[in-house]
Amino acid sequence: MATLSINSVRKSFGAVEVLNNIDIEVEDGGFLVLLGPSGCGKSTLLAIIAGLENSSGGDILIGDKNVNDVHPKDRNIAMVFQSYALYPTMPVRRNIGFGLEMRKVAPKDREAAVQRAAELLQIEHLLDRKPGQLSGGQRQRVAMGRAIVRNPDLFLFDEPLSNLDAKLRVEMRTEIKRLHDRLGTTTVYVTHDQVEALTLGTKVAVMKGGVIQQLADPETIYDRPANMFVAGFIGSPTMNFLKGTLEQGDGGLVLRHAAGTLALAGLQQDVAGFVGREVTAGIRPEMLDSGDGPASLTGVVDVVEPTGPDTMVIASVGGQLITARLGPKDRPRPGEPLTLTVDTTAINLFDPVSGNRI
Amino acid sequence: MAATRSRSKLLWDVISYVVLVGLAFIAIAPIVWTFLTSLKFEEDIVTRTMQYIPSRITFENYVKLWNQSGYPVLVINSLIVTTTTVLLCLLTGTVAAYAFSRFQFKGRTQLMLGYLVVRMFPAVLMIIPLFIIMRQVGLLDSTIGLAIAYTSFLLPLFVWMLKGFFDAAPKELESAARIDGTTRLGAMFMVVIPIARNGLLATCVFVAIAAWNEFLFALMLTTSQGSRTWPVGLQLMVGEFQLPWGMLAAGGMISILPVIVLFAIVQRAMVAGLTAGAVKG
Amino acid sequence: MVEARISYPPPLTLWDRINPVRMIGELSETRYWMYLLLIPSALLITAVVIYPTLYGMQMSFREMRLNRPDLGTGWVGLKHYQRMLTDPIFWVSLRNTAVWVTSAIALEFLIGLIAALALNRNLPGSKVLAVLILLPYFLPNVVAGHMWALMLDPRLGVINDLLVKIGWLEGYKAWFADPSTAMAAAIVVEAWHSFPFFTLLILAGLKGIPSDLYKAADIDGAGPFAQLRLITLPMLKTIIAAAVILRVIGLVNSPDLLLILTSGGPGRSTQVLSLYAFQTAYKDFNFGYAGALSVVMFILLMGFAWAYVRLSKVNED
Ligand SMILES: Nc1ncnc2c1ncn2[C@@H]1O[C@H](COP(=O)(O)OP(=O)(O)O)[C@@H](O)[C@H]1O
Ligand SMILES: [Mg+2]
Repeated sequence: MATLSINSVRKSFGAVEVLNNIDIEVEDGGFLVLLGPSGCGKSTLLAIIAGLENSSGGDILIGDKNVNDVHPKDRNIAMVFQSYALYPTMPVRRNIGFGLEMRKVAPKDREAAVQRAAELLQIEHLLDRKPGQLSGGQRQRVAMGRAIVRNPDLFLFDEPLSNLDAKLRVEMRTEIKRLHDRLGTTTVYVTHDQVEALTLGTKVAVMKGGVIQQLADPETIYDRPANMFVAGFIGSPTMNFLKGTLEQGDGGLVLRHAAGTLALAGLQQDVAGFVGREVTAGIRPEMLDSGDGPASLTGVVDVVEPTGPDTMVIASVGGQLITARLGPKDRPRPGEPLTLTVDTTAINLFDPVSGNRI
Repeated sequence: MAATRSRSKLLWDVISYVVLVGLAFIAIAPIVWTFLTSLKFEEDIVTRTMQYIPSRITFENYVKLWNQSGYPVLVINSLIVTTTTVLLCLLTGTVAAYAFSRFQFKGRTQLMLGYLVVRMFPAVLMIIPLFIIMRQVGLLDSTIGLAIAYTSFLLPLFVWMLKGFFDAAPKELESAARIDGTTRLGAMFMVVIPIARNGLLATCVFVAIAAWNEFLFALMLTTSQGSRTWPVGLQLMVGEFQLPWGMLAAGGMISILPVIVLFAIVQRAMVAGLTAGAVKG
Repeated sequence: MVEARISYPPPLTLWDRINPVRMIGELSETRYWMYLLLIPSALLITAVVIYPTLYGMQMSFREMRLNRPDLGTGWVGLKHYQRMLTDPIFWVSLRNTAVWVTSAIALEFLIGLIAALALNRNLPGSKVLAVLILLPYFLPNVVAGHMWALMLDPRLGVINDLLVKIGWLEGYKAWFADPSTAMAAAIVVEAWHSFPFFTLLILAGLKGIPSDLYKAADIDGAGPFAQLRLITLPMLKTIIAAAVILRVIGLVNSPDLLLILTSGGPGRSTQVLSLYAFQTAYKDFNFGYAGALSVVMFILLMGFAWAYVRLSKVNED
């Protein structure tokens, strides 16, 4: 087990810059999630950590050791791939033990280690099959077995769950979390799924276009997104953005929008410099509730989407569409007027020009 | 409506069968006829009334061919040339196909195109200089020299075809192997080549058939019984006037037997590889 | 969790230090690895293709007659190329090459397409039929030539016998000895030998056409011929273009079959360019002129390939 430092790592393919000055520290036993839309450079960064790609600049340190010039086979890492990358010509037993075999571990010790890993993942009965005879979920488990059997310094996961169906994905997510709690191995986990990121990570790096947008723990990412990209990427349904002007009202700051004003009494930001200017207020759907209150929005119901535990209500507030997550029994009808009370402590104000949180 | 559609489908199925059976007949009729001829006595071949089914059969053509014409030597020479060609292609072509399939590097596309364009060079344009060069270095009229000459058109084909099979093995497998502790060399031999083994076999068979069948280079680059291959030997049996049809037919049947057997064994993988190579090319 | 302890990097034993496999393995981790992999084949190709071709090209500017050493091997400039302009055999060969290539390819394409369409219906038993249909392509030219020479023989040919029996022929015909039929007969043999190549490629192309397209066309009421014209052939354009170009290269470059069947005769009726070049080298030992003929052939082929690729690209837009 070890720490991981990524220092000013850059990567270009020809003239195309894919990674731009990436700086990340992961503590020993930490769980870093690289989150971002497809094509933002997550896999490339992971490949650089693994040594499968050379960086165009910057350093990777595992423990205290700079591994820039260390071959993948000597980095003592383990990786789980999106496609699992199981060796199709070898039975599961040899697939899992292959890393130990390459490192000349005695057959008896190897066999014992494979057995323990298989027990942990409940795949002992599959050991003599070929990967082609396994289901998707079973392959996933074998791939994990291959990773844990070696007791590596670092686990790397590249979208390991995205080829599974929804139910299995949730199950395996829990499994991965349990494994990490048990083994405590430093982990880097790539995904484009924000739920995976928030549930698994001790630290989440949100990336876009090869640039880290925000690097923080999951709560901060969720509650205080650094910019409108992160705010919009995280959370489902996505955060509402309400445009308006920041003004000094009688009882404090207010947001003047197309359909009235919104009192910003509990705001957690220092926004003094923005009084009198255009701002965008980010309000998560679950921070809205039906009924009146000290801070509220009034609009007309547009669409109602019951989902079972919640009812998603999309309302037009002065022409801007706002989604609210209401209780299951709350079923307003389209066309009805609707008043929503807002938890103002959870509001984030963004500068609409730069997109950054003020 | 549904009835007419299924009736027209049936009609086309019947037409397809007729076409396929007809074409299959045309494809193998010459082979069958040659086989029948090889079993006839000479006087039954050259006869006023055509015998479709031989009235009596004999193996004398095969015996004569084997004992009198030096055919065994020709076959052995052909075997040596074929084996050497396949080995040369295997040793140099496998790693090249692997590099083309696995790595992005400067000049990759150009080099691959170059391997393709090489196939456009007229055989004659290469045969003449090869004749002169091989004479200078003492490889003229040798099985090794002929095999080397064969690689000129078979190696590019080998590389293209095999690359297609390597492409089918996902790149992540090598990444996994390298993280598991192999070098790139180890990943190639322990992971990728085992996956592509059927393709490798098919590619080798294809090259072997081509080398076994080759006529023009052999005619020009071999001059004596010591290194002559069977296609040249068979052609030289053709005299000016009286054709030894029985022996020619027997020689033809013996020579295509290994081709038919090999083709039947690996035809599916070979067909896949041929088309993959040609489609991308 | 697993106590299989491994230290990183593993310590090197003495054997590790001198083990050649390990050393190549280490080399494979460097950035030069792919170039190392390419070197053996590149060297071989240079030695047996590039060098001889260049040699052959410069030869076409020299006097080089193996049976006339007295003439030496001096430079003669464009002499061979000038001779070609006034060489009637060259022009006949050129015309014959055009006839040979276009007719053979037209026939092979047509039969190949029909076979592929029929095979693509995946009727029971079509796997076996496919093997039989593809077989001729893998047979040697020499045997293919002799099989057909036997069947078309003027005295004992079975085809003559059949044609007389069904009344299409008065008497046995010497197909390869008659200048008016020799080329046609040779084209039939060539088509028999190589139509499977088109079948093979077109079949692969057909497998790549999504069946939804045909279902949609069915619903729109398009008949089988409309489907062939509007869906199948356009979708196969690239693959047909590739197949045609590969066959053109093969047909222009290799004189094998004609050499075996007719040696260019009777007269010059089946003399093609590649055969003429080969005979100039093999019979007359005039390597300089043979080289010049091959160079012209190569240039014509390159020109054709270039124009053809350009044209099929233009058509796509
Ligand atoms: N070998 C390569 N050559 C050129 N561009 C590449 C290569 N590999 C990846 N890229 C580009 O780099 C970007 C990042 O890719 P990747 O790291 O795979 O994204 P992600 O995993 O976040 O979806 C993409 O735009 C991709 O097109
Ligand atoms: Mg990726």
